[in-house]
Amino acid sequence: MFLPTLLVLIFSPFGVLTSKPDKFTEELFIKPLYSDQLYVHFHFATKWDTNPEQETFRHTHIFPRALGEIVERYNVQELHVSLTGGLWRYETWGYPILDAAPGAEVWAWFKDTTEDVDQNWKLLASSLSGLLCASLNFIDKANSIRPEYTFKPKGVFSGSNLNSSFVRYSSLPREIVCTENLTPWKKLLPCESKSGLASLLNSGYIHNTRYHSVAIHMRPVCRDSSCEFVSLELQQTVSLVYDYLILGTKNWSFRKLFGQGLMGRCPLAETSTIYIDTTSNTSVPFQLTPSPDDYVTSIRGGHVNTFAKYVVRPYAMSLNANFLGKESVLLNAPPSLHANQYITGYGQERGGIVTKIYNNHWSHLDVVVLQNIPWYVPIYLHTLKIEVNGLEAEPLKIRYIPGRQRERPYHLELLLKLPARSVTSVSVDFDYVFLKWQEYPPDANHGFYIGSAIISANLPLARNFTGLPQDGSTIADSFNASRSGYLVQVRTENMVITLPTPDFSMPYNVICLACTVVALAFGPLHNITTKRLVLTVKDNEKLIVKIKNKIVKVLTDRRGGEEKQSVQ
Amino acid sequence: MGLLTDPSAGQGKLTKALLKYYTKLCVLLYIGGIGWFCSLAYTPMNAGTYFSENALLPGLVKSEFREDAIAKTYHSELLDEMKKYEDSIPYPWLLAKMKQIGLDTYTHNFTLNYPLGKPQKFVGKNVYGILRAARASSTEALVLSVPYRPPLSVHATTAPSIAIMLAFAKFANREKYWAKDIIFLITEHEQLGMQAWLEAYHGVACGNDGTLDHGDIKGRAGAIQAAINLELHETAISQVDIKIEGLNGQLPNLDLFNLAAKMLLKEGVPHTFKNRPNKHLKDPVNDWFYSFQTLLAMISTQATGIPNGNHGLYHRFGIEALTLESTPLKGGNKAGFPIVGRIIEGIFRSLNNLLERFHQSFFFYLLPSSERFISIGLYMPAICLIAGALFIKACANWCQLQENQAETEDEKTKTPETKKQVKSSVKPRDSKNYWKEMETRFQTEIQTHNPPDPDSVNFISILCVFLMSHVLGVLIMNSPQLLTTLGGQYNYSTDASLFYGFIAISVVLLTMPLFIPFKACEKSMSVLNILSLLELGTTLICVSMNNFSLALFCAIIYVPLALIIGITRCRLCSAIKKIVWLLAHPLVVLTATVLVYTFFMFPGEKFEDNFHRGVAATQQAIVFSIVDSMIYGNWLFSVVTSVFISNWLCFWIVAFAKVPQDIPKKKID
Repeated sequence: MFLPTLLVLIFSPFGVLTSKPDKFTEELFIKPLYSDQLYVHFHFATKWDTNPEQETFRHTHIFPRALGEIVERYNVQELHVSLTGGLWRYETWGYPILDAAPGAEVWAWFKDTTEDVDQNWKLLASSLSGLLCASLNFIDKANSIRPEYTFKPKGVFSGSNLNSSFVRYSSLPREIVCTENLTPWKKLLPCESKSGLASLLNSGYIHNTRYHSVAIHMRPVCRDSSCEFVSLELQQTVSLVYDYLILGTKNWSFRKLFGQGLMGRCPLAETSTIYIDTTSNTSVPFQLTPSPDDYVTSIRGGHVNTFAKYVVRPYAMSLNANFLGKESVLLNAPPSLHANQYITGYGQERGGIVTKIYNNHWSHLDVVVLQNIPWYVPIYLHTLKIEVNGLEAEPLKIRYIPGRQRERPYHLELLLKLPARSVTSVSVDFDYVFLKWQEYPPDANHGFYIGSAIISANLPLARNFTGLPQDGSTIADSFNASRSGYLVQVRTENMVITLPTPDFSMPYNVICLACTVVALAFGPLHNITTKRLVLTVKDNEKLIVKIKNKIVKVLTDRRGGEEKQSVQ
Repeated sequence: MGLLTDPSAGQGKLTKALLKYYTKLCVLLYIGGIGWFCSLAYTPMNAGTYFSENALLPGLVKSEFREDAIAKTYHSELLDEMKKYEDSIPYPWLLAKMKQIGLDTYTHNFTLNYPLGKPQKFVGKNVYGILRAARASSTEALVLSVPYRPPLSVHATTAPSIAIMLAFAKFANREKYWAKDIIFLITEHEQLGMQAWLEAYHGVACGNDGTLDHGDIKGRAGAIQAAINLELHETAISQVDIKIEGLNGQLPNLDLFNLAAKMLLKEGVPHTFKNRPNKHLKDPVNDWFYSFQTLLAMISTQATGIPNGNHGLYHRFGIEALTLESTPLKGGNKAGFPIVGRIIEGIFRSLNNLLERFHQSFFFYLLPSSERFISIGLYMPAICLIAGALFIKACANWCQLQENQAETEDEKTKTPETKKQVKSSVKPRDSKNYWKEMETRFQTEIQTHNPPDPDSVNFISILCVFLMSHVLGVLIMNSPQLLTTLGGQYNYSTDASLFYGFIAISVVLLTMPLFIPFKACEKSMSVLNILSLLELGTTLICVSMNNFSLALFCAIIYVPLALIIGITRCRLCSAIKKIVWLLAHPLVVLTATVLVYTFFMFPGEKFEDNFHRGVAATQQAIVFSIVDSMIYGNWLFSVVTSVFISNWLCFWIVAFAKVPQDIPKKKID
């Protein structure tokens, strides 16, 4: 143990200097969306040519050591974390480069040597919570599932067969993402936010968007095409969607978007590039200043895209785009697959969860629907109803693990075949339950969240698709990357339900009431138990006579006393 | 204080007092209840309104609405557009405008299968746009709705409301502070469109199956927290009335009402409640009377259970909602679009601040003015006092029954020997003798009980009669469709066939006392009377929990009459009671109320004209209440038929008690 550490310590600086085992690229991708929005995606990729199985993360060069230590400690094979504010609107915006559910979302594959996956998962989440200043420490067995079909490893997998007992998925839909998450995230970058594209991430500006998502994706990848050796790859991304209405104009610039210009590239980066999607220039023309260094044409999955390319040089630059066209409202053609989710019913007795999946493609699509439903929303599997265009249909396969109160959530995974141009609704009924009084969160009347459903599909066409291919780690890798299928994982809305919530001033009322009852009961109880029952002759004297007698008695007593005194 | 002591101890005195004074007590309770209620309008008896939910922060931000010019443009464009659509909604124009503003726009189609008479279908279309909040992921929403009224509509136009709504949408979509989506909804066919949209949004049907086909909607925005319904009829408004009464008498959270009142006050637009501005009169009597009139106006609207605006349909779904309606006023300052826009902005920004859904403040309250309220804790004693009279009477009757029974038994069992025993056991009452006495009593009781007593109470048959009357009530509740099809075969209109059908049924049911086997048994009739009294009391209290005003009106009418009904020996009294009770039949009460109202509304017209008008109005009232229960799930008709008519029948049977007159007994009533 000691010797290899020593060796690493001695030789690693030379190793860095000689063969450069890690490579860092930074990219900025800007795409005007179909409607009045602008999609801005920062992509930072680090590829480290080291064996993840043996790496101890005692010394790292560009790869963030803080993350490396966590990964090593908890035996993590692959890690995906995203913190998102707002909802990606698939219907009008198409597909993002990386899908993320509103709130916090984490999924990880553990190495198959891991003994107690649940324990490691809990610890991993807690460590990540510290790393990103997010409430990921609330992730535990009670809100995590092991998806069977939805989350396959994204990177190289060396084991013999995939076993879903090594994967965990959890989401925290109530998580609010803000500056405090972005700052620690920026510290994981080699240049932090001091220089390079990351210096544009000015939190005062990027949270004024319709959608902002911060993510970390770590996976082992093939070092080269022969895949003899494995490397470790880390993708750090920030996705933002600006709205022209909120910006106040359709002419955007770095100053408008980020409040500042770009002060050169990160010196540690291998490449530093900016891509601007100019495909929509035919319908919504805009002029870029300065003019781009190059134009890239990408033919992918039957769709042609053109990109303006800027290579960031080590001096200050800015970018302006001037909108040239007239004000017009464009008709929207929704992408092949999109979905939404909602609650049915009213009151606090019974309700239902409906997931509607729209297939706008001209042929059928096979999809996997994953629902992670918290334990306090007990669903009934017998009420599961799948309707395709109003007619009832059967799923190809169901994986259902019923939840257990306070122990595990309801896990429902369905394999569906969506007919061409169809609307499929998956509905299931649930009961509203009472919780223990300490289980209510602060602001209990805000409601309880149910996380997004995830609909995964391999699309045959790359229309509206911007995602990276599985073998690529940079945006440049996605150009001309035609594959047999394009994986999308559509996230639906979160839902908020109002469980029966007690009036939390109630304990005070109960204490008052209970004290009164005890006081009332105590008197007679004390009387009965301490006094002896004696039969007395019932006198039928009237009240006045009684009083008179008493007075007489008192008077005679006094007189008697006086007499006695006088006698004495 | 005797919580754990023997309840029978000391009963004798109390019972005697009850039997002696219960009539006076009942009268006192009834008058006390009414007096209590009337005094609630007196200012020192109620409380000033206040904000309970601090998160609302009303009026704390500076208003920024400046889109009045575009509102004017929208208004003139809409007026032009409306000319092309005489009797329907100009949805292409509305959709186009909403799209231009940048909202997610959708349409919603619904169909009404008219449940009564010949099968008829009505279709409608709602238009709505959703402003997607920048700071949230569509988990919560607010609604701003306007009922669309075509030029041919009998109601006043709402075109200015649509114009200001669109202008506000344009303004709001540029702001980044929204944390809740805002749904801008324009509904067709007044409440029908609203109900259909709400049902579609929540994926449920509230009325009878298949009556209102709510269809499906595509765009949703999570849980709706609050809604504001706009009914502004002019571009320059002089006064705004806040309407709150909802379906089945449900009310929105008082905080929402306060919020609206406060924002109107802040922008300097006079607001009214029940079309009555707040007045602070110097004379306390006048002040009380003015508040009391406002209070009466509110409870008479609430009692019908019919919403007085589209806001009323939201309440069922846990959405707090109210209507802002402009009322024309001659002279005075007029507020134009900029001020109205600022009012809407203020309300929505306050609602946007809400972290939790409305749960503080009051859901049950009465308003004697828009700045004072009467909480449930203050108004419930009124109905409890009135209904308490029924319970007192029932209790007294029961005690009387027990006493009479004990007396007759004593008379029967007091043979000379037992009398002696009793006498001997009176004085030093030690336990041995007491048990002996009890044993002998028990044995004698068994002996006397053996022969079937014609005068004994047969609980089974009483319960059967009680149950039967309720089954009949339920049958009446479900009869309308049968009646209309039956009437339709003889070419009667729906209105007429229902009205005359109900009259026929009621007349047939009047014969029910003929079939009662235990009419001559005083005790059985008395037990039935007690049961009916208890039922009426319980029903009144239960109804008051949901719709206080309805319960109060019913209590004021029925409690004194129900107290009079009882077993009497006087023939004349009995006949008078029957006639009085006949007048208290729900159908008669309804007809009488509508007739009085008609004569009140159309004074100076011919008696015959007014009479016919009144009868026609009654017929329509019945049809509306049935249709309301079928489409919206209004439970007024169901409660009246299944509970009040059944209860009325029970009392009717009691009124037919045949008690022999010759036996001099203690009077029961």
